[in-house]
Amino acid sequence: MNETLALELKNVVKKRQRRVVGPVNLQIPQGYIVALVGSNGSGKSTILHMLTQSLIPDEGEIKWFGREGSDDLPLDIKSKIAYVPENTAMEENYQTAEQAASFRAYWYPSWDQKRFERLMTRFDVPRNERLNRMSKGERRKFEVAAALAANPKLLVLDELSSGLDPFAWKDMIEELQECMTGEDVTMIMATHIVEEIKRLADYIVLVHKGKVLGMAEKDLLYGSCYEVWVRGDFAGLKDRPELIRCEENEASIHKLLVRDEAFISELQQFKDLQVMRSRALELEEVLELWIEGYQPNC
Amino acid sequence: MWIPIQINENSAEPLYYQIETQLRSLIVSGQIQEGTLLPSIREFASSLKCSVITVRRVYQDLENEGLLLTKQGTGTFVARVGQSERSEYRRMVVQEAVEAAVDVGLSVQYSKEELEALVLEIIQVKYRSVTREGNRDE
Repeated sequence: MNETLALELKNVVKKRQRRVVGPVNLQIPQGYIVALVGSNGSGKSTILHMLTQSLIPDEGEIKWFGREGSDDLPLDIKSKIAYVPENTAMEENYQTAEQAASFRAYWYPSWDQKRFERLMTRFDVPRNERLNRMSKGERRKFEVAAALAANPKLLVLDELSSGLDPFAWKDMIEELQECMTGEDVTMIMATHIVEEIKRLADYIVLVHKGKVLGMAEKDLLYGSCYEVWVRGDFAGLKDRPELIRCEENEASIHKLLVRDEAFISELQQFKDLQVMRSRALELEEVLELWIEGYQPNC
Repeated sequence: MWIPIQINENSAEPLYYQIETQLRSLIVSGQIQEGTLLPSIREFASSLKCSVITVRRVYQDLENEGLLLTKQGTGTFVARVGQSERSEYRRMVVQEAVEAAVDVGLSVQYSKEELEALVLEIIQVKYRSVTREGNRDE
């Protein structure tokens, strides 16, 4: 594939009060949706802050669309990036949605006012209310509408859905999918919502305690680990590398977590053993195992 | 265009394989007609909740098999499926299903005679009801 990189991070480090984030090495190809996943405080937001230069890394380098931005990013690159932070900026608090939009339109040459109007209507956001008087969800919806109206080539979303009701959430997912049809838009999002990952992400980047554990193609994570219930004598297979965990449930019934599907067919042929049932693990279970150190084989 | 494909996330079969098999069968069986414009890669991925990488792979595989055509800038279309491919395919799916049924028979030690009798009986019943409905001639 002829992949150009939207983002490249090399040995990027940021020292925070509680934890050092990094060194982060990541290559994000253009045209994809990448979900940053990890527990609270794992460093996801710090990474996103650095991608939008609201934080400057202490070490390492970041390239946007192949250009390095050691000090301040040139305006033509900045205007291709839209950012929906987890906590909204104070500067716009006393403006109405309309005022804030016209300010943004000034900085984004690709601003599409019609699209903004359409999104505000679809999301049902009050236009003449000051932003700090809006509910959390309304403010969120304004932020996303404004981010999409800027026609960005790189969309950075931090906890998109916090504060959204399920209906607004669904609208938003649809709008995000639609903005990706151009195939040159790249989206990077931090999220806790599994359904959001399932519906949007192409790649998953797992962040844990400030470290990036890896980047995996989402669809390959399905079916990368299995839960298998077996009855019978299991002793001969205890040391197999495919075996992640083994719990004895009742006498001679074991619940196994295994990594390789081929191993299940092997179990089925094992003569003292009966495979009672097996299922592929859910995405969140696979991610949990990955955090524990069992990287999926993909 | 909505394409009726159903994914089972808990299946041991990889997603791309599930999608590819189902899409191939829809095309070869004629349920999606020649010339149909398929959804864009991102649209299709969204509706299937899978990644664009998977959909791109499926489109590429089926294009290599001659079932799909991609026109630069317009999209991916269903290609012409020859009569021989179609009958070959029909034979293949039915054969697989019959083989699976025979395997079940073997696994419960069903005798050859019993199985033959049962198959004939089922054919009798099923085909009678199909003829009665009158609209399925195949």
